[in-house]
Amino acid sequence: MQTNQLLLIFCGVLLLLGLLAFFAGRSKATRLRSAGTAMFAQPDQYAWFTVLSTAGPAVVVSALGAFVLLLMGADIPTLYLLAASLVIAAIGLLVSLNQVKPDFHARQAIERVIRMALAGAALISILTTFGILISIISEALRFFQMHSFWEFITGTTWNPGASFLASAGRGDGSGAEFGSVPLFAGTFMITAIAMLVAVPIGLLSAIYMSEFAPRKVRTVAKPVLEVLAGIPTVVYGFFAAITVAPIIVNIAGFLGLDASYNNALAPGIVMGIMIIPFISSLSDDVINSVPDSMRQGSLALGMTKGETIRDVVVPAAMPGIISASLLGMSRAMGETMIVVMAAGMRPNLTANPLEDMTTVTVRIVAALTGDQEFESAETLSAFALGLVLFVITLALNLVSVLMIRRFREKYRVNNL
Amino acid sequence: MNRILKTTVIAAAVMSVAGVAQARDQIRIVGSSTVYPFASYVTEEFGATTGNPTPVIESTGSGGGLRLFCNGVGEGTPDITNASRRMKVSEFERCEENGVTDITEAKIGSDGIVLGQSSENDDVALTREQIFMAVAAMVPVDGELVENPYTNWSEIDSSLPDREISIYGPPTTSGTRDAFEELVMESSSEGMDVYGDEGYTDIRSDGVYIDAGENDNLIVQRLSEDTGAFGIFGYSFLEENTDTISAASIDGVEPEAEAISSGDYPIARSLWFYVKNQHAEEVPPMYDYVDMFMSEMMIGDDGYLRDIGLIVLPEAEREEWRQAVADRTAMTADVLK
Amino acid sequence: MSHSFDEISQQLKRRHRKSTRLKWITMGSLGLAGLFLVLFFADMLSKGLPAFQQAYIQTEISYTEEAETDGRRAFDEELLPLISRTVVRVIPMELRNNPDMIGTSEEQWVLATSEVDQYLKGHRHRLSEEEQEALDARVEAGQVDLRFNSTFFGSGDSKIAENAGILSAVVGTIMTMIVTLAISFPIGVMTAIYLEEFAPDNRLTQIIEININNLAAIPSILFGLLGLAIFINFFGVPRSSPLVGGMTLALMTLPVIIISTRTALRSVPESIRHAGFGVGCSRWQVVRDHVLPLAMPGIMTGSIIGLAQAMGETAPLIIVGMVAFIPDVGVSFTNAATVMPAQIFTWAGEPEQAFVEKTAGGILVLLTILISLNAFAVVMRKKFERRW
Repeated sequence: MQTNQLLLIFCGVLLLLGLLAFFAGRSKATRLRSAGTAMFAQPDQYAWFTVLSTAGPAVVVSALGAFVLLLMGADIPTLYLLAASLVIAAIGLLVSLNQVKPDFHARQAIERVIRMALAGAALISILTTFGILISIISEALRFFQMHSFWEFITGTTWNPGASFLASAGRGDGSGAEFGSVPLFAGTFMITAIAMLVAVPIGLLSAIYMSEFAPRKVRTVAKPVLEVLAGIPTVVYGFFAAITVAPIIVNIAGFLGLDASYNNALAPGIVMGIMIIPFISSLSDDVINSVPDSMRQGSLALGMTKGETIRDVVVPAAMPGIISASLLGMSRAMGETMIVVMAAGMRPNLTANPLEDMTTVTVRIVAALTGDQEFESAETLSAFALGLVLFVITLALNLVSVLMIRRFREKYRVNNL
Repeated sequence: MNRILKTTVIAAAVMSVAGVAQARDQIRIVGSSTVYPFASYVTEEFGATTGNPTPVIESTGSGGGLRLFCNGVGEGTPDITNASRRMKVSEFERCEENGVTDITEAKIGSDGIVLGQSSENDDVALTREQIFMAVAAMVPVDGELVENPYTNWSEIDSSLPDREISIYGPPTTSGTRDAFEELVMESSSEGMDVYGDEGYTDIRSDGVYIDAGENDNLIVQRLSEDTGAFGIFGYSFLEENTDTISAASIDGVEPEAEAISSGDYPIARSLWFYVKNQHAEEVPPMYDYVDMFMSEMMIGDDGYLRDIGLIVLPEAEREEWRQAVADRTAMTADVLK
Repeated sequence: MSHSFDEISQQLKRRHRKSTRLKWITMGSLGLAGLFLVLFFADMLSKGLPAFQQAYIQTEISYTEEAETDGRRAFDEELLPLISRTVVRVIPMELRNNPDMIGTSEEQWVLATSEVDQYLKGHRHRLSEEEQEALDARVEAGQVDLRFNSTFFGSGDSKIAENAGILSAVVGTIMTMIVTLAISFPIGVMTAIYLEEFAPDNRLTQIIEININNLAAIPSILFGLLGLAIFINFFGVPRSSPLVGGMTLALMTLPVIIISTRTALRSVPESIRHAGFGVGCSRWQVVRDHVLPLAMPGIMTGSIIGLAQAMGETAPLIIVGMVAFIPDVGVSFTNAATVMPAQIFTWAGEPEQAFVEKTAGGILVLLTILISLNAFAVVMRKKFERRW
């Protein structure tokens, strides 16, 4: 019998048992109550107790069994596992019906179970982080067994070519080099361009919206900027590759410079546009949180509005603004689609944004979607790159949170 | 009472979705990105004209496809893999080890690797050696192996045009690159003693050879914008874009279907697919698809695949392979050696 | 250090001018951001709107006996090169299923090839001079026309440009989103309820909270790596299926739902909870019957926004393989499928000129859906917002 049909039957029987448990439990409880005894809980609660005692153990046992199957490859035929769970469910039903007595705190029992379920859900987020760490670290470790970690961090040549030859049966892969510096240089270059676009525009827009703009403009402008944030990155990538890149090449040609079609400027600018809302909305919140007393004090001393903003408000909001910028930077570094579609494939260590260069995220995608062996160093290098990316973005986020916390403490602000 | 009813209904609905036994009617194909345009044409035709679901086809590259194919038999393994090179003995042995013992090999046509350029340029004639000189990381100059100094085609040979050397090519993960390296780079450097025992190793990474990604289409696009550059891609992409792209002749031979098919054109290779006969029961439509692929309608002289750039095999060879596939002949390691 | 009155008032004027300048500069940058948006949409509309029209050609189809073997026989030889292959290839099957049609003929408007389509729209095409002339004559005669492109909305992906549609991607998105919500909504809401209402203020809770904030900031591609290494390689979930795509996206959406649910729960005043305790409810009863219903609008809007974000994600789905070529519209959780952003990504890589407008058309469809979702969430929020 196919697994799917088995599961169907299992669910069906469990459902029937559950219904049976519900009605049996409720009727017993109602009977007891109408006989005159005072009970600690309502009949419905007893009913739910029996249902939980029936279904709960069955699900737990089958889930455990499935895990054992997976982890240890033990050969438990699905049929037996599910049958065993159903037997346990039946036992649970009988035992719990027995428990339906006047002095049994059914409600508390149920609520204990519910609490455990809620806590379990909360633990899933930790499991997820662990999952990401484990999957990336284990594969990255395999990579670092093949190539030295130090070289990976400091090497300036990324040439996995020979490892491909090895997996294709020619050559021995010894010429492959995995120095990731050019990749990170590309990432940093494009991130820098993005920040150069996003921070001025974002910050200045935030200043306008919080200090100068009439309320109507503010209520319109905020959602409009949110739209910028909501545009999918693949769309931005298409825009960068098809519209922005040719424009840059033309302008460069006009100025007598030579720009590649995969230049770093196009994805950088478009990424900057994408990040503007992050910076502007966070800065807006921070600037609004600066206590009004500071503004009024400054104005009372005779400073103009512009001077107040420049010398009092913005410096006060600075930790928050820096935090917003760091978050934006971390977003830019981890961004994939825009660079996959608009940036180049060639690791290139250069300071010229008109040249083509590739980034960490592009190489990760290329390594995992091309013609590859899952054992080859090139594929595993994707995980090594992912690990470093994870560490860097984590560090940026931590610093950003710390800064916001400092700001919060300084001005006793609660809504950030 | 109401709540109970609701729960039951929802539970039943969920179960019915989960419990629908998935009969496997859908063929799973992986493999070469060069064969992909042809295979996906056939899969679409198959899905549209017979009542069967369209086979799912993924472009994983020849090596990746063969690896997935040889992972074993049963759930989760592909039924057919396409390849732009013949299966290797080591891959065949791995297949045997993992239980994939009944494979039918099928040759569907040829493919040539062309050096294309924007049709705005004058025609160019190149030799493999010249290409090698333009693209290798280390070249012999005055008998010594030095880093490639050439930046202009005319520096390599005065008969070549005065253009900056700029070549868009497939990355190391591509089967096309594999073939290019074998048929051009390695064969050209074979005679050169200066390479010693190691032989040629690398293509230059100083920006002259530009890694343009798995997608041959992108290379073609780039050429129409970057008119001075060359691109390395399969013949089918030349055919599909004759209005914008022309190609250089190699060693005196023009990249044309006849020349590639006969083997005169030096950078030519065959295209294959491999069928896992052991899946025939599990996936009933599999052979219908395979036979459709091998039919005259598809790979024949007047076939649809020819229209999209496939270089067809000579008729006799075609018949031979068609018969072998129809007989579901199991391949042996001898044919690969 | 005394200055004349004039000097002082000059200084003052300068300072005020600078202040006004600042105002204009900041307003200008906001305007610049708005300008980007306008240019972007204008560009997308100009590239994408033509996709909603497609060239059709009026022709006579004669269902002869020969047409049952070779669909090409059903058409006029002169017109054949202009007619899409997708029309021709289904004739044999149609005749096999309806043998009483043999011998009849009818006039129909059928799909023309993408070359005809691109020529009529003024884009790059591959028609020869004579073909163009002949085509012009037919346009004059009213036999060839641009009509509403129902194929785009009604069929799945295709290698044949004029036949490419977005339906399979839309269905794939819906299936994937169902999985995503089914996983992330219960778990997210439960986690938020736990953290807000039940959790003791200890180390473990703090760790969980820090964790969630970190998850929200991890680059999406790393979730793809997780999906590949654990869901596909370890658990054996079928590659490219809405199941594995949904599971991966669910993990990404989890932090968003948790954070917005917590905010919604927090906005319910303590007095409601106290009142519940006052009449003897247990903690869970207070949450279930009083806090949760009041917080529900906020929770829904947060989830819709999270859903919209997940809908636009591409990178993690590429890593788990959802860029297969999907012409069939499949309603299954375990068969290979694709989603709208992935479809856009694939079309963006196609060489044919016709696919450029298809890509932009797909982008327009995606953007419309996303903007509607977000607008719906905002409207809902405004409507159900209660000021305590």
